[in-house]
Amino acid sequence: MAGRRVAIVGVGYSDAGRRTGLSERHHAAQAARAALADAGLESADIDGLTTWGGNPIDFAHMLGFSPLRWHLDVGISPAFISPAIHAAHAVASGQADTVVAMRVILQQPSRANLWAGGTGMAFDAQFQHPFGDLMPAQWAGLLTNRYLHESDATEEDFANFAVTQRGYAAKNPEALMREPLTAEDYLAAPYISKPLRLLDCDYPCDSGAAVIFTTEERARDLRQKPVFVEATALSATHDMTFELLPDMVRTSPVHCLQELWSRTELTAADLDCAQLYDGFSVITLQWLEALGVCEPGQAGPFVSSGGTSLTGALPTNTDGGACNVGRRHGANFCIEATRQLRGGQSGERQVADAEVALWANAVGPFTGAMLLTGS
Amino acid sequence: MTQQADLVRPAPPEMVIDALSAPFWAAARERRLELQRCQDCGLFIHLPRPVCRRCGSFRLAFEPVSGRGSVYSFTETRRAFHPFFADRVPYLLASIELAEQADLRMLSNLVGIAEPDVRFGMPVEVTFEDLSPDLTIPVFAPAGSLA
Repeated sequence: MAGRRVAIVGVGYSDAGRRTGLSERHHAAQAARAALADAGLESADIDGLTTWGGNPIDFAHMLGFSPLRWHLDVGISPAFISPAIHAAHAVASGQADTVVAMRVILQQPSRANLWAGGTGMAFDAQFQHPFGDLMPAQWAGLLTNRYLHESDATEEDFANFAVTQRGYAAKNPEALMREPLTAEDYLAAPYISKPLRLLDCDYPCDSGAAVIFTTEERARDLRQKPVFVEATALSATHDMTFELLPDMVRTSPVHCLQELWSRTELTAADLDCAQLYDGFSVITLQWLEALGVCEPGQAGPFVSSGGTSLTGALPTNTDGGACNVGRRHGANFCIEATRQLRGGQSGERQVADAEVALWANAVGPFTGAMLLTGS
Repeated sequence: MTQQADLVRPAPPEMVIDALSAPFWAAARERRLELQRCQDCGLFIHLPRPVCRRCGSFRLAFEPVSGRGSVYSFTETRRAFHPFFADRVPYLLASIELAEQADLRMLSNLVGIAEPDVRFGMPVEVTFEDLSPDLTIPVFAPAGSLA
């Protein structure tokens, strides 16, 4: 990465849960204070803030980060990776020294909201809503079906994916879904938009997450072992209508990883673990294939044969993923990758001697990825 | 909110149609499928946009298309996410690959066929469904199935 070397020094969550009744400000405040405590930093140390959800200027004043030298309000983008990448580059370029990146997301859109009317249609929605195309689970149904058609994956592979993720979640006290899950449970869950089933979807919740980026020099004096940003990449290959993607199997992750690997000497073979977005199961499978850890079309069998388990070729989504940790909208993957590389902070799900981790967000029209190292 | 309103059929989701998209819906009302096309380089553009992404031209107009295509992907929605669809589930959504141009896709419904009978790549043709007195949508049926 060009400019100053950047490290992650603090991570934190709010008290996440189903319909907590807490505002965006509550979740932002809890997450930011938790990240500061994790890092051993004070409010006065923070000179930059970016968030998707809420407003960075509002949050900064509330939290006593003043004056800010850098701020960015991130809108629709590939989940938390967008504020995280912008924060890292703000530090690298010297626009700020210590930046908090946040994702604050309340449980939405709820079905109840849609039933009450007020579907909030933007221009493009007029080509979706009258056809009954109203929720992300439906484009995910289209992507999943095309993936099943082109690949060797079966519904049983998708079941094994959900079971593997739940197995990790059972080892994560912060996961919201931890009860044992069997392949039969997965197959018994209803279709939302066939072939997409309920347990292919992430678990909606209210949450705030914060990650603090600073320079290598400052990181050396702080509480935690620094985790370094080796390379980042953002990609956009289409507009936001997933339903009209000309290729629903080889989507933006392919381009994103081409860019990422062109910016580092490391390769996919160096990865000790991967934290790959799972808003819907098919997304993680697309990332695994884009990474080349298995042949094209083989991510399903790769998962079923234990490839993503703790003892597999590439331990993946070791916190249990957003299907179980809850919809932290990508921030959980940054936080879990950081904890894995600090060593010993991932408890029973710790990957031994983890030195290199990739975390990646989103799929389809837009993605982002960040490569982290432990030294 | 009147109680009487709850007894009548729910309206389709609210539509926001502007000058850019109005020709599409006006044509559908007359049972024609028309898409935006660049008048300089010939590129079909869907969804409608103010500029041609291939040549940069602002000379765009709606033109009739054949209404023929094939099924690129499909999904059977089992849950109603809006009251209008409560008695329509399950229904089929599909990404249709239109015949006019490689990579020209349209999101629509498949009608006249059950989910187990749908095949990837199967040829389909446009037909029209009136959702309300003011709104007609282009939907697709298996080719040759429309008398």
